Amino acid sequence: MSLAELQQLTLRRPKGAPRPETPDDRAALGFLAPWVVGVLALTLGPMLVSLYLAFTDYNLLQDPNWVGLANFEHMLTDTRLHKALAVTFTYVLFGVPGQLAVALALALVLDRGMRGLTFYRSAFYLPSLLGSSVAIAMLWRLLFGGDGLVNQLLGAVGLEVDRSWISDPDTALSTIVLLHVWTFGSPMIIFLAGLRQIPRELYEAASTDGANLLQQFRAITLPLLTPIIFFNLVLAVINSFQSFTQAFIVSGGTGGPADATLFYTLYLYQEGFGAFRMGYASALAWLLVLIIGVFTAINFWASKRWVHYDD
Amino acid sequence: MRPTELSRRVLVSAFVLSTALGLTSCGTAEGPAAAGSSAPALSDEDVTLRLTWWGADARTARTQEAIEAFEAQHPTIDVVGEFSDWSGYWDKLATSTAGGNSPDVIQMDQLYLASYADRGVLADLGSLPQLDTSNLEASVLDTGRSGETLYGMPASTTAFAILVNQDLLDELGLALPDTTTWTWDDLTAFAQQVRAKSGGSIAGISPWNNEYSLRLAARQAGEELFTDGEVTISPETLAAYFQRSLDWVKNGAAQSASQFSEQASVAIDQSDFSTGKQAMTFTQVTQISAYAAATGGAKLTAVPIPAGDAGAEPYFYLKPGMYWTVSAQSEHPAEAALLVDFLVNSEEAATAIGTERGIPANPSVREFIAGTLTPEEKQAVDFVDTASENLGDAPQIVPNGASELDKIIQRYLLEVLFERQTPQAAAEAFISEVQSSIDAAS
Amino acid sequence: MTDTVTLPAAPSSQTPQDGAAQTARTRGPGAAARARSVLRQAFMVAVVVLALYPVLWLVVSSLRPDGAIFGNSSLLLDTFEVENYTGGWTALGKPFSTYLLNSAVIVAGSVLGNLITCSMAAYAFARLRFRFQKPAFALMLVTIMLPVHVVIVPQYVLFAQVDAINTFLPLILPKFLATDAFFIFLMVQFIRGLPKELDEAARIDGAGHGRIFFQILLPLMTPALATTAIFTFLWTWNDFFSQLIYLTDPNKYTVPVALRTFVDAQSESSFGAMFAMSVVSIVPLLIVFAVGQKYLIRGIATTGIK
Repeated sequence: MSLAELQQLTLRRPKGAPRPETPDDRAALGFLAPWVVGVLALTLGPMLVSLYLAFTDYNLLQDPNWVGLANFEHMLTDTRLHKALAVTFTYVLFGVPGQLAVALALALVLDRGMRGLTFYRSAFYLPSLLGSSVAIAMLWRLLFGGDGLVNQLLGAVGLEVDRSWISDPDTALSTIVLLHVWTFGSPMIIFLAGLRQIPRELYEAASTDGANLLQQFRAITLPLLTPIIFFNLVLAVINSFQSFTQAFIVSGGTGGPADATLFYTLYLYQEGFGAFRMGYASALAWLLVLIIGVFTAINFWASKRWVHYDD
Repeated sequence: MRPTELSRRVLVSAFVLSTALGLTSCGTAEGPAAAGSSAPALSDEDVTLRLTWWGADARTARTQEAIEAFEAQHPTIDVVGEFSDWSGYWDKLATSTAGGNSPDVIQMDQLYLASYADRGVLADLGSLPQLDTSNLEASVLDTGRSGETLYGMPASTTAFAILVNQDLLDELGLALPDTTTWTWDDLTAFAQQVRAKSGGSIAGISPWNNEYSLRLAARQAGEELFTDGEVTISPETLAAYFQRSLDWVKNGAAQSASQFSEQASVAIDQSDFSTGKQAMTFTQVTQISAYAAATGGAKLTAVPIPAGDAGAEPYFYLKPGMYWTVSAQSEHPAEAALLVDFLVNSEEAATAIGTERGIPANPSVREFIAGTLTPEEKQAVDFVDTASENLGDAPQIVPNGASELDKIIQRYLLEVLFERQTPQAAAEAFISEVQSSIDAAS
Repeated sequence: MTDTVTLPAAPSSQTPQDGAAQTARTRGPGAAARARSVLRQAFMVAVVVLALYPVLWLVVSSLRPDGAIFGNSSLLLDTFEVENYTGGWTALGKPFSTYLLNSAVIVAGSVLGNLITCSMAAYAFARLRFRFQKPAFALMLVTIMLPVHVVIVPQYVLFAQVDAINTFLPLILPKFLATDAFFIFLMVQFIRGLPKELDEAARIDGAGHGRIFFQILLPLMTPALATTAIFTFLWTWNDFFSQLIYLTDPNKYTVPVALRTFVDAQSESSFGAMFAMSVVSIVPLLIVFAVGQKYLIRGIATTGIK
């Protein structure tokens, strides 16, 4: 039976026919076998070990010592941790919506088709190719430094500024948020893939009915894209809370100036590998899991109100 | 096919257990070298050694040459060189050591020496007769000890200095004051002159911001940064150290706080000094070749830092550029020691490595390569020789738990320069943070 | 052949354009539409400049002598130095092709592994009903949330016990065990966006899960599979940390590990060579992306023809 015939069949099948409700345990195990082995052998073990280490004093080079809740108590008075939380929340708050908005907007423009489409699509993905390269650190300095391009442009329109955006504690974080927004390529690609999956004849039907672009967007594109928007949102939140590479590269691993770009995982990494406090770093990791978990749960809960699945 | 509830649970706990056991059994130091009683001897069989270092491509090429020379002398020993950049190096070393899989011979920095040695993962070099330590001056060799035990063989030494861009001064029509007797006020005044003469575009100096400079500041005040695992610099001395930089930023001797901060984490090629926007810079004198290349061949002079109120008491010391250490996990400590001996004491290694790692710690090696030096390298060697005439005792190495020292200094310095904390408050917070970090590690 | 879900033969990028033109016609005179189109092109060019400038700067810098790279934001070359390329290629003792080849092997394994195992797992999560489904899904998500820096040490110990350090195994095996939960989640979302009537109809027709997965859903998932392949390629190609940790012998080093060693804060660095080799290492990425993006676009259109 060809796919087309199948699809014809699909359309003829009356809506509301009972779905087969036999549990698929056996099939599921087959499909999930690699994942189950992976989780048990590679993921779960190290995860549980790190959970155990969260309750120990572990310096990587000697045996861990059980210290109970001491690591978690230390969090309450750890001012650098509080700073890192503030930095990370600010970043998530501005970076996630910023990047997703740009990605979605450009994906929509590209999906509509225009001259030079292939070129644009590749060009827009370039920043993401470079996003974790060492060269970015130098480049960002070139743009946002005291005599960088941004200040030169401001000077050209009559605004004399000699502030080094990248190294002033008040503005350093904003430049990293911009760097994040600038690497919009990945969510854009996912949006594009999602847009391509929307059946074209829906648009054809709509435009025959006289719906304009905005109406088509609201009636067709947006609802059918919601699973992908949701995916991008969940992943963007998870990834942003874990953001590491950009701040690491731009600040040379310090989280500076004066901890202004001390991202949570950067702090965790400094504690674990720099200061040999892997026990505390593990505790920090699990606090992060808790924070991300809460945000993800909220996301999933809220998704019931706006995400449209075909099942 | 489907595992039962029980077998699933068993599977999980087995994995956890094995991983946890791995952590505990591999983390400890039970290598043959740590056993100690009888000195390990060279094996008759073929041996493979792993040698690891951080550094850029130039170092890699030179070290590979040295390895080949060593292998030519010792046909039964095969040496695999492993290299990475500075920050990746420490991540990799910590992980592989935790996994019981550390390289045999490890290039080590003073910031980390005690962190590794005190946790029992480095071999006692004194127990390895294949390594000859007798050529080194005692004050240099002592910088490789944690407590009484020698863990690190100093590979090179260096001295703190001020590099001056003579070409830039000539352009501005300025002449350096007598730097053998100058005071901190002289330095400040001269730096301000640079700023004024250049119409504000060139800074004289930039703040000092690392462990070496802080130790010297403490010793100029008759104190030590660390004594027996305690932070013993006084809050007043530390506050004065921060205050001096703050003054420079405010009175124009140095660049603005944000300009200084901008170049704080970049490689020397991008620094203001290298790009001709700054006339003098604090640095280790051995960096002179790198700066000469970065400035595109400007004429550079190394001069001593102002002696301050140090009085007659010699406060200066030579900092070991880096060490060679042997892992306690090594299965071939004798061969490893032989390799370290070759790297530090042999003329073959000196020919290959030159001064790329700094000025060789072994005086006879230093003499051997004297004829091959570039003018910059010669200047560095002369500077160290002059400084050697009036050295104080070597300070104790950075204690276990303070490996993040350079980053901490930089962080508090920026807090002060951006006037988010007063020098006094920063000094007190710094001391308490470093002290609690050391306490937590011991 | 006609079908109901997919477009006929016309290239898919054409149709939306027609739709746009059509709408524009109904709304106003041609001049306004043309103005809008010019405006849109101008906007696109501005975005392209923002996106392209850094890359061009990288390329231009790789053709400059070391000392002339910094503080120079212009894209014009005074001199043309290929020395960075010739020198950089051999600077680390081995020809740079060694690292390119190692990266290619790891990337190929990773892409294959992710495509097979993540799509299988995604099918189970999206279309099957089984015991412990919700906890398993939650567990999968948690594995994305835990920062790599705290699991790398236990994982390293695990691989050290089976003597797999300094092999590609720790870098490739996890992909064949679907540990990249990101892609499972991605494909779950895509599958859930596909009409469920498709597989139900097939099931009524007697098709098993294997057939539904392979013959019906997989062809429809081309965009998601292409996304997975491209991202796996890019991320593995750029992944520094785990490759640094697991590979010790320079013969096994990969591109990102090699690139970092051109620049060292403690000694003389070779920025020119680093830029040159960065450009070299981006070329495969560009090729893969240029080729791969066809599949992102064609996805729906091609499935109808088979």
